[in-house]
Amino acid sequence: MDRLTAIASLILDEAKKQGADAAQCRVSESEKKEFNVDGGRFSLMRTLFDRSVSVTVLRDKRKGSVRINRFDDDAVKAAVGDCLAACESAQPDDAWEFCAEACDEHFTDGAPECDTEALFMRTKELLKDVSARHPKIMLEQVICDHNGVKCVYMNSYGVKYTTHGGSYNISLMYSAHEGEKGTSFYGTEVSLKTLDKPLIDCALIEREFTQIEAQLGAGPLEGKFTGTVLLAPMASLEIVVGTVLSNFVSDLSLIDATSIWKDKLNAQVADERFTLAITPHAPYVVSGSEYTGEGYPAKDFELIENGVLKSFQLSQYGANKTKGVRAGSDSWEISITPGEKTLDEMIKGIEKGVLVMRFSGGQPSAGGEFSGVAKNSFLIENGRLAGALSETMISGSVPEMLTHIRDIGSEVLCNGSMSVPYISFDGVTISGK
Amino acid sequence: MLSDILSDLKPSFAAGAHTELRGQLNRSRSVVMVSGNLVQNARTDISGVSARVYRKGACGFSSMAEYSPEAARMVLSAADENAAFMETHAGADKPALPALAGGRCFVTEGINDPAQKIYVDFLKELDAYVEKNCPGLLSRQLIAMEDSMEKLLVTPDGTDAHTILPRSYCMMNFIAATPAGVPVERFGSVGGEGTFDLNFTSFDACRKKADELYEQLMLKKDGVYAEAGLKTVILGGIMTGMLSHEAVGHTVEADLVLGGSVAAHNLNKRVASDLVTLTDFANTAFGKRCPLPVFVDDEGTKAKDVTLIKDGMLIGYMNNRESALHFGMEPAGNARAWLFSDEPLIRMRNTSIHPGKDKLEEMISSIDDGYYLIDSGNGQADTTGEFMFGVTMGYEIKNGKLGRALLDTTISGVAFDMLKTVDMVGDEVIWSSSGFCGKKQPMPVGMGGPALRCKVMIGGR
Repeated sequence: MDRLTAIASLILDEAKKQGADAAQCRVSESEKKEFNVDGGRFSLMRTLFDRSVSVTVLRDKRKGSVRINRFDDDAVKAAVGDCLAACESAQPDDAWEFCAEACDEHFTDGAPECDTEALFMRTKELLKDVSARHPKIMLEQVICDHNGVKCVYMNSYGVKYTTHGGSYNISLMYSAHEGEKGTSFYGTEVSLKTLDKPLIDCALIEREFTQIEAQLGAGPLEGKFTGTVLLAPMASLEIVVGTVLSNFVSDLSLIDATSIWKDKLNAQVADERFTLAITPHAPYVVSGSEYTGEGYPAKDFELIENGVLKSFQLSQYGANKTKGVRAGSDSWEISITPGEKTLDEMIKGIEKGVLVMRFSGGQPSAGGEFSGVAKNSFLIENGRLAGALSETMISGSVPEMLTHIRDIGSEVLCNGSMSVPYISFDGVTISGK
Repeated sequence: MLSDILSDLKPSFAAGAHTELRGQLNRSRSVVMVSGNLVQNARTDISGVSARVYRKGACGFSSMAEYSPEAARMVLSAADENAAFMETHAGADKPALPALAGGRCFVTEGINDPAQKIYVDFLKELDAYVEKNCPGLLSRQLIAMEDSMEKLLVTPDGTDAHTILPRSYCMMNFIAATPAGVPVERFGSVGGEGTFDLNFTSFDACRKKADELYEQLMLKKDGVYAEAGLKTVILGGIMTGMLSHEAVGHTVEADLVLGGSVAAHNLNKRVASDLVTLTDFANTAFGKRCPLPVFVDDEGTKAKDVTLIKDGMLIGYMNNRESALHFGMEPAGNARAWLFSDEPLIRMRNTSIHPGKDKLEEMISSIDDGYYLIDSGNGQADTTGEFMFGVTMGYEIKNGKLGRALLDTTISGVAFDMLKTVDMVGDEVIWSSSGFCGKKQPMPVGMGGPALRCKVMIGGR
């Protein structure tokens, strides 16, 4: 860590020497160990030694940023020079700002050290478990890695954070096959602090294997109807949470005033059972964000509480531009408060609709309208799953869906960066052939 | 530019194994302006060295963020250790890779590094033009960007190479409100292979694109929802390119074939109408340089075109050296890596359906009730061939004439079913190359095609 601190100090000194009014930098080095499985067999082991130096400077209210991956003095000094040259051409903007409350904090996050042998054995065990318990599942690609990172953030106002962290990360892409029949692929990602249990037992991995096997023999839906869409956690994240964070509460959407919620602070924007928080410090987050991109300490906060919009997710720059308030964190570590019904109970309450495990769709419009394919989905009729679906599209409006929530489930996907339950929404257009 | 510090290390490659040693520099420049505010002004330079060792089917890889002989020796050693770990822990019993014809390839011209001021000043002037000439926008987002990959590759048997592939673009996204106050967008880009200073010597192309996007957005904000269901449509060249890449190209990448893609069961079978021929071009297509030419891949294979579908029949896959051995095919230069720290994966280069003989006007006039879909925001496909594209610009076709503009919608289908409905193919190929293909690593690719008349599911509202 001393070496990284020395480089960060050199950057700040050099920035001052070259005429910067303010500067911040992030210097990190990492080591990644990774096992790859392709087509069900081990294909590759990787060891990556990486470095990163990010520098941002302000001069005369102008901003420039440079990122390199070299640590030698000449390269670092040149990066600072490039950064100031970039400033020269920029236009002045009063809104740029870094955290100015001096501090010196150290964080140890997740799993800083890698147990390579254990990572291999857990990966091998996963292949055996899948083969024995889910023989129809074909693992197209499995990537199991450990990434250990040491990082120093410093700025010219005396703010300093050092972090030694790491995590085990499991990424699966697979489909089910029987003869020439095959399902759509499905993917899942999980981050872990420890390898204390079989990978198949982590998050919702085994349940998802079972659901994908049940997809074999999927057929198209006939016709079109307006019904209930029950979104699995990843589908909720993509359709609902992604739209809210990108289109309604982000810096960009509020600075250029395209957010349809720009005047909705403290107004009801969702069903009163819906609470969405940004939680970098939640216990289930493996390696959460400790500080923001501008050097402010990250804090958990509620974006939507009981359906009321309590905050935007503005950076200090965004807050200055819009006369708003900086949010506690700029990260996407998400928590949605679960409800009380199990998935089976949620399905029992639905007369006609679809259960969607994955959504493959176009980027929702600025207003939150979306349409796309309900991947890995099942028809729900009279409170029961009535067969797997292919070629079925769903379309609707995220702001309307948030006010038409039918149920929020008790079972959540906890994958190391978020905790999101199943959620069902009424009034969504579902169309087949 | 990278100096060659790697060739001298060839004698130290592990015996009895296949080794690749690669030095690489990725450069990116990005300036983003939102409604006159410069919100991003960034430069990135990422360099380092990596080695991959292949022994009896076990593969080890290592990389280091330093380009020096010491770093190269270290990654060679670490990659060899990783291959040995895999050999002992996971087992390995595959034959050695067939040797390639050796050679050398140098494509290193045209790599300037314009000052950041060039990008910023260009955007400022373009922004002023848009502000003045495009009234009524809720937002205008402009991006000036460049990225480049410089690679120096040393292999024991293949083509040793030093190549540079720069590309640069000016992107524009305009947002306006519908009469109901709902924001709608229109995005487009100008640019291609080459550095920013060479590609943007005048504002003409950008101003023309801005005018075109604005005109389309003004029609779109008063547009209508498409009627959901199976419709006869004309896909414009950009949409055909997306189809070629996403819905067909990925399913015939050999690693995905081995993972169970639909193409595994369709080799040498009819998958499209006989009007459809699809090729992944290496560096020259239809007599012209491809949008993003590839001359040698990161395994040292000299790049050649791969015909995937010929007259409607699926006849080939895209391979790396290992999968080519498995399928009894010839590797053609599809193994590509994005950063120095990335291993080569099977990737497309410039994928396009071949042009036919039909004029676009005749194609439109042949449809009584359908749609002309000209641009896509994004697209995704499944290993089953099931695909989905967002449609960001399109028009109704009524009685052979273009009608009202469409609000955003989505089309979907199963590629090998949908391609069998193609009954007219336009005579002009349109390419796009500004995006990234995502598959573990990002990768710049070209995709293109002519207008196609076909039947497809459209999402409507």
